[in-house]
Amino acid sequence: MLQARGLTKRYGGLLALDHVSFELHPGEIVGYLGPNGSGKSTTVNLVVGLLEPTVGCLSLLGVRAADDPIAYKRQIGYVPEEPTLYAHLTAGEYLTLVGRLRRLPSRTLDARIPVLLRLLQLHDSRHKSMTMFSKGMRQRVLVAAALLHNPRLLVLDEPFSGLDVNAGALLRTLLRMLADDGRMIFFSTHRFDMVEKLCSRVIVLSSGRIALERRVADFERDGPESLEATFVRATQQPDFAPVAREILDTISGG
Amino acid sequence: MTVRDRPEVVLTHHFFTALFDFGFLSDEGAEAFKRLLLGGLALAIAGGLLLMRLFMNKYGLLAGAPEDYAREVVADHAFLMALPMWVVAGAMALAGQSLFPNEVDFRILMAEPLSRRLIFAAKLAALLLFGGLFIAGTHLGLLPVAALTLIGSTSIGSAASTAMAFLASSLLASFFAAFAIVAIHGVLVLLAARHRLLAFSGVVRVVVIGGLVLVLPLVLRLPASADAFAAGAWWLVLAPPAWFAGLERWLLGDTASSMLALQATAATLATVAIAVIAYVRLYRRFDRVTFQSAVRTTTPDWASSTNRRSPAAPVRHAVGRFVSLTIRRSVLHQGLVVGVLAGAGGLVLDSLLRANWRVDAAVDTELIWLLLWTPMTMMFVAVPAMRMALSVPLDLRANWIFRMTEDVEGRAEIAAAGVRVVLALAVALPIALIAPLQWSTMGVASLAVQIVEAAIGWLLVESLMANWRRVPFTCSYIPGKGFVPQMCVKAFAAYVTFTGATGLALLASLRSLAVAIGLTALVGGTAAILRWRRARRAREMGLLFEDEMPADVYPLRLYAD
Repeated sequence: MLQARGLTKRYGGLLALDHVSFELHPGEIVGYLGPNGSGKSTTVNLVVGLLEPTVGCLSLLGVRAADDPIAYKRQIGYVPEEPTLYAHLTAGEYLTLVGRLRRLPSRTLDARIPVLLRLLQLHDSRHKSMTMFSKGMRQRVLVAAALLHNPRLLVLDEPFSGLDVNAGALLRTLLRMLADDGRMIFFSTHRFDMVEKLCSRVIVLSSGRIALERRVADFERDGPESLEATFVRATQQPDFAPVAREILDTISGG
Repeated sequence: MTVRDRPEVVLTHHFFTALFDFGFLSDEGAEAFKRLLLGGLALAIAGGLLLMRLFMNKYGLLAGAPEDYAREVVADHAFLMALPMWVVAGAMALAGQSLFPNEVDFRILMAEPLSRRLIFAAKLAALLLFGGLFIAGTHLGLLPVAALTLIGSTSIGSAASTAMAFLASSLLASFFAAFAIVAIHGVLVLLAARHRLLAFSGVVRVVVIGGLVLVLPLVLRLPASADAFAAGAWWLVLAPPAWFAGLERWLLGDTASSMLALQATAATLATVAIAVIAYVRLYRRFDRVTFQSAVRTTTPDWASSTNRRSPAAPVRHAVGRFVSLTIRRSVLHQGLVVGVLAGAGGLVLDSLLRANWRVDAAVDTELIWLLLWTPMTMMFVAVPAMRMALSVPLDLRANWIFRMTEDVEGRAEIAAAGVRVVLALAVALPIALIAPLQWSTMGVASLAVQIVEAAIGWLLVESLMANWRRVPFTCSYIPGKGFVPQMCVKAFAAYVTFTGATGLALLASLRSLAVAIGLTALVGGTAAILRWRRARRAREMGLLFEDEMPADVYPLRLYAD
């Protein structure tokens, strides 16, 4: 189980995250929603161990991140929001680098890398450096890299960004199966449709605090209000019609 | 719309500033780089003042000796023309990727309502401004020195005509240097296969920069080449500064220099013509620089990057391969590594060329000393420079993968990977390059010398990389953390001490095998202790991903706590 207790992060005087607590159980897919600047990426960076909380603690399968960050991070696979990787390498070279850094035996790398490349439709481009890969292709490489060591927790930041319809459907099915196999999946997104289709639970973040935490199934059971409408209400989003009108007036005027 | 808001002005300004863009530096690093440049400028001014002092003495003495003056001034003017040529060619080569509109320009600018003609014209204008800036800057800087050489010029013509001839030839020489680089890139862009263009362009840039670094000692030797100019030495036809010095003589009425003058004129016209043709051809076939296919690697299959057997130190293996692939494929890092090695080679090339190889080497102490000094000098330059080259980052945002996968033993392995690269390129390579010369002069005894050299090189690397806790190319980089002139003084003192002490040690090793064994054991043992300490420090302290400025203020703590 992943446990986050009272996560708080300050950047100088800016409070990015304010006492955020949640749990993630094996077999669960949790969608993490929030407007831009609400603290989603900060939470993701804290969960994967790239940042340390100012206050609060994280533990995964009984290992506290503060006590043993290496053992904690070993159980995590991460797909970042932007497909940032060393693009001068080929996909195979990048996956080999990641596998070696994670100390996977050569036999395992030999068995997994070509299969992942083929299944993620990267096999034809395996001899090319990733400099000219599309965003979707890079995203697929990162998904392969995140799965390579068979992690217990998968953290994905906007994983469907840049993926075409087929790749998106494949990833959705894969995430469902991984969850059914007992893995924990935490994914940050702006896409309500994906949350509704995929997640068992949703956490909505607003101004660094949890504004809503609810099971997705409860939305259907409790009434007609959609996830999007609930999100707008929970995050106190303004009425956008006047803003759109003002933009239109600005570009139409002198 | 003001002139500054006009699209052609905005675009030219954009291209011009892009030529100075060092994308690998963070904001803090860019600030530090500016300080480094200012330090470099201070050094250049100091060097210029020293040069003035030397020329003042020299031309003061020559004022009363017209024949000597006429002989000496040719070589000095060739030198004063070569310096701006070198600087301008270096600047153009560094900006090589931006000499022609590229794919990024196409993707961003062609989506805007801008004509292709405007984009090309703005690029060309920016390029001319860039080249012009360096030409004007170097000529203005050298003006006082050049003026000194006119003392006594009445022996070959009026001071005004000599000055005019020198200025015209020197400016033409700098234009030639600039257009030569543009022409080389132009030919490459037009002729190279499209999917090879990026790789070829990088290789050309690396070769040009490496070549420039290598010839620098030869440029500095020009003032001492008056006799060669007077005798019409064979190598003058191969040295572009000599062509333009010949042009200057020819303009002043010396018909003996007409061949060199012709060579200078023809070369300048040819490079200008090639550069213009390349631009015009590219204007018509803009697709040459757009939609370049990705670099294809020579890797036969993904499996070639792994071994069937798991390596004993997988992280070190992975980082070593990452470094090797980065040096092979990143133009910036390839340029840095080649520049470093060429710099180290250039430093000793001059001495090796001047050595008297015809004497009986076995008894020539001077030659033996030179061959013992050479690898030590190359190491002294290459080790810190290679360490710096490994510190220059590549896509900092991508380093999260190293931060995610960091473990205690891996830290030591990563530190070891960086050290191994420096050992291979900055220690083993210089030893291997000089070994045949040592073998041919010292015989089998040189083997003992090479073993001691390797031990000293190892100790040097371990000393300079004692605090190395980085994955190469993944940590932010702040250049010039110290005050440049002060660093230069320290480096010079260290250089004299290091080469002097190690030269004596090597000479003793050459004469006594027991000394060689003893020194190897002592130096190698010390290096092994430093290696152990480095690994322990890396394990305990973790990897470094953010470079830091040293504290500027060291409190005296004269108060009680």
